Amino acid sequence: MSVASAVRRSRGASERRLLAITVLAIAIGIGYVAFQNVGASAVYYLTPTEAAARRLPPGTTTRLGGLVEEGSLRYDAASQDLRFIIGDGVTRVIVIGKGAPPALLREDAGAVVEGYFAADGSFRATQVLAKHDEVYTAPSPSATPAHRTPPP
Amino acid sequence: MSWGDVGSGALRAALPLALWGLVSAAFAARERDGRFLGSARWSAACAFVLVAGASASMIAALLSHDFSLRYVALNNARETPPYFSAISLWASLQGSILLWTTILAGAVTFVAWRGTRDLPRLATTALAILFAMLSFFLVLVVTPAADPFVRIDPVPADGTGPNPLLQDHWLMGLHPPLLYLGYVLFSIPFAYAVASLILGESGDRWITATRRSALVAWALLGVGIVAGAWWSYAVLGWGGYWAWDPVENAAIMPWLVATAYLHSVMVEEKRRMLRTWNLSLVIGAFALTILGTFLTRSGVINSVHSFSESAIGPLLLGYLAAILVFSVGLLLWRSVRLVDPEGIGTPLSREAIFLFQNVLFVAATLTVLLGTLYPLIVEAVSGDQVSIGSPYFDTVEVPLALALLFLMGVGPQLPWHGASRATLERQFSVPIVAAAAGGIVALLVGLRGAAGVLAFALAAFVAATVAQEFVRGVRARHTLHGEAPQVAFVNLFRRNGRRYGGYVVHVGIAVVALAVAMSQSLAVTKDATLAPGGSMQVGSRTIVFEGLRDVAQPQRQQVVADLRILDGGSGVPLTTALSYYPNGTSAVGSPGIRSTAGDDVYAILAAYDARSRAWATISIKVIPLVSWLWIGGAIVGLGALLAALPEARRGRRASAVVPVPASSPAGAE
Repeated sequence: MSVASAVRRSRGASERRLLAITVLAIAIGIGYVAFQNVGASAVYYLTPTEAAARRLPPGTTTRLGGLVEEGSLRYDAASQDLRFIIGDGVTRVIVIGKGAPPALLREDAGAVVEGYFAADGSFRATQVLAKHDEVYTAPSPSATPAHRTPPP
Repeated sequence: MSWGDVGSGALRAALPLALWGLVSAAFAARERDGRFLGSARWSAACAFVLVAGASASMIAALLSHDFSLRYVALNNARETPPYFSAISLWASLQGSILLWTTILAGAVTFVAWRGTRDLPRLATTALAILFAMLSFFLVLVVTPAADPFVRIDPVPADGTGPNPLLQDHWLMGLHPPLLYLGYVLFSIPFAYAVASLILGESGDRWITATRRSALVAWALLGVGIVAGAWWSYAVLGWGGYWAWDPVENAAIMPWLVATAYLHSVMVEEKRRMLRTWNLSLVIGAFALTILGTFLTRSGVINSVHSFSESAIGPLLLGYLAAILVFSVGLLLWRSVRLVDPEGIGTPLSREAIFLFQNVLFVAATLTVLLGTLYPLIVEAVSGDQVSIGSPYFDTVEVPLALALLFLMGVGPQLPWHGASRATLERQFSVPIVAAAAGGIVALLVGLRGAAGVLAFALAAFVAATVAQEFVRGVRARHTLHGEAPQVAFVNLFRRNGRRYGGYVVHVGIAVVALAVAMSQSLAVTKDATLAPGGSMQVGSRTIVFEGLRDVAQPQRQQVVADLRILDGGSGVPLTTALSYYPNGTSAVGSPGIRSTAGDDVYAILAAYDARSRAWATISIKVIPLVSWLWIGGAIVGLGALLAALPEARRGRRASAVVPVPASSPAGAE
């Protein structure tokens, strides 16, 4: 074995070590950032009763799911203030938002809103969520599907 | 006899054929007996014809509204238009699994007839593995787990119709089949990899034999993902195209791993390195396709507890576990034979860039996986329902994507083994200037965030490296063969499609990066509640609300808002609507989209006066460059096609020396 090839080999080995350390450092760095962020980005999905029981600090981003109470939906087209009540049969929460109610938000129907609780206990909605989910409840086979339901 | 009987019978006949195919392919591999191979081939072909026939029967049943089948009753109605009836084959679980089984049977037949010509031992072993997979899926479709031909009694007078979201846009006919083709075709490289492990081969024959199918699977999956983003943009009505939804993550994870794989196999071919790694990547990509199907089909995403309610959830999970245990076990057993003779040398070599690129792609996959599974883990441990939103994914994935964009420009410019200073200068002077120019352009068009500016700079960097390669390639052919520039350009693809097709893919990715940066950073939204005749100003455009119309269609009712975009001239009409389907619990928005090369005007009817139609709230988004996202996706697909074109077209003059551009150190591939 010549001296030159031995030198090349040892240089190769140290460069390989450098490469391995770099790769390891990158992997650890990415893993650290990911684990730091995943817990912090978790948004809890709660019913009004669960939210009340948890006494969430105001400002914590939360998803609130429940039923939009019949007759509670108010929208002022001039000021674009939107207000409705989400309830789960036990607890009721006033939801305040900005902008026209999206078509998928209807009274006496389920809704999921993302936002946070204000200090006064009302919920400030930043977003009404659409679920893109192919599963929906199928009516029983004997029931004739109600066709041509006029739009509300 | 009804279509249901035909389809049901065909599937039940296909299962024994697949099992016989499994046995005969295994014997053919073991005994090297051509008679068994012939038997396996015909089993595959017959099974394919039967399963395809079953799919055709389902389509026929949907088109003829045969509500005696439960699947048809739940996914079709008398008023469903023929196009949406036909594509309801993949509207829900059982039909989707049937489509999957059909494609898999096609893949088995392809390998049985084409793949077994040159490499009998490896290919016949792979064939046996593919038959085993086909048998599993056939078991799913002939048992209650996913039997599409279950009857319903009493037969309803009408069906409930497909999910409103799935009958609102023609792209539904394109996105799921592309995605499934991509998913299923990964079975072929996986089967060859496992066969190679079973036979104890240490070479890269399995890679060479499946290079094209891996590339095609990757391209179809990629184009399918972009088609899905486009569908989501055109249907869901929030002006976005990607939300880090678990369904989307399920599709992108195998694509990320497969992208790493397509690059790292080049290292194995050139330098005989990364053997265990490549096998792990192909196993990982395949396992992620099954994981994706499990996540989207078992209901586990809605709740951890709902997956066991579906019969298919535990079966798919068991299948995934079996695949992982079997293939990882094989890998560990054979790992001694797979030791690489050489190590990776200097960090400034192409193989080192591929290594970094692979690490980043795998990191991107694992972090998406973490964000996707985290809610399931939390729910299983504490019972709380949580969701991981875009902030996590954006924080982690955007820097990774930018780093990958950078490596995409650097990698192809570095020679194997290591680069000298002179090489670096020759390769990177022009691209660095282009990157600086790209950054300045980003600032001029109004981008301020670091990610957006970097995306522009790096996209310009990549585009410049590719342009440099093409210019040098054309020049070299001109000097060597005296070809005219346009002839030389075409011949680059004919002689070395893999390399130059790959560059086209890189350009497509750069275009996607620009489109994402612009559409995410510089979209403008404005809402206004208008009376007919009223108008709103969005950027340089005036949008006039002309009024509301009620439109009755057989399958749905629509409230349509007529708009006119005044853009200097007389204006362009645009309509946006809310559609009410009889089976829908809420309205489905049909956004109005006016696309130009520069930007899209995206109009949503957010709300309207339900009683007298006296006002409507219109939400307008102006989204720059978003149509380039779909174009970029198409360029990626085109590049992959060029890279996958048969060798025969290029190898006709095999004696001629394939010219390597004199100024490029970048090897032949």
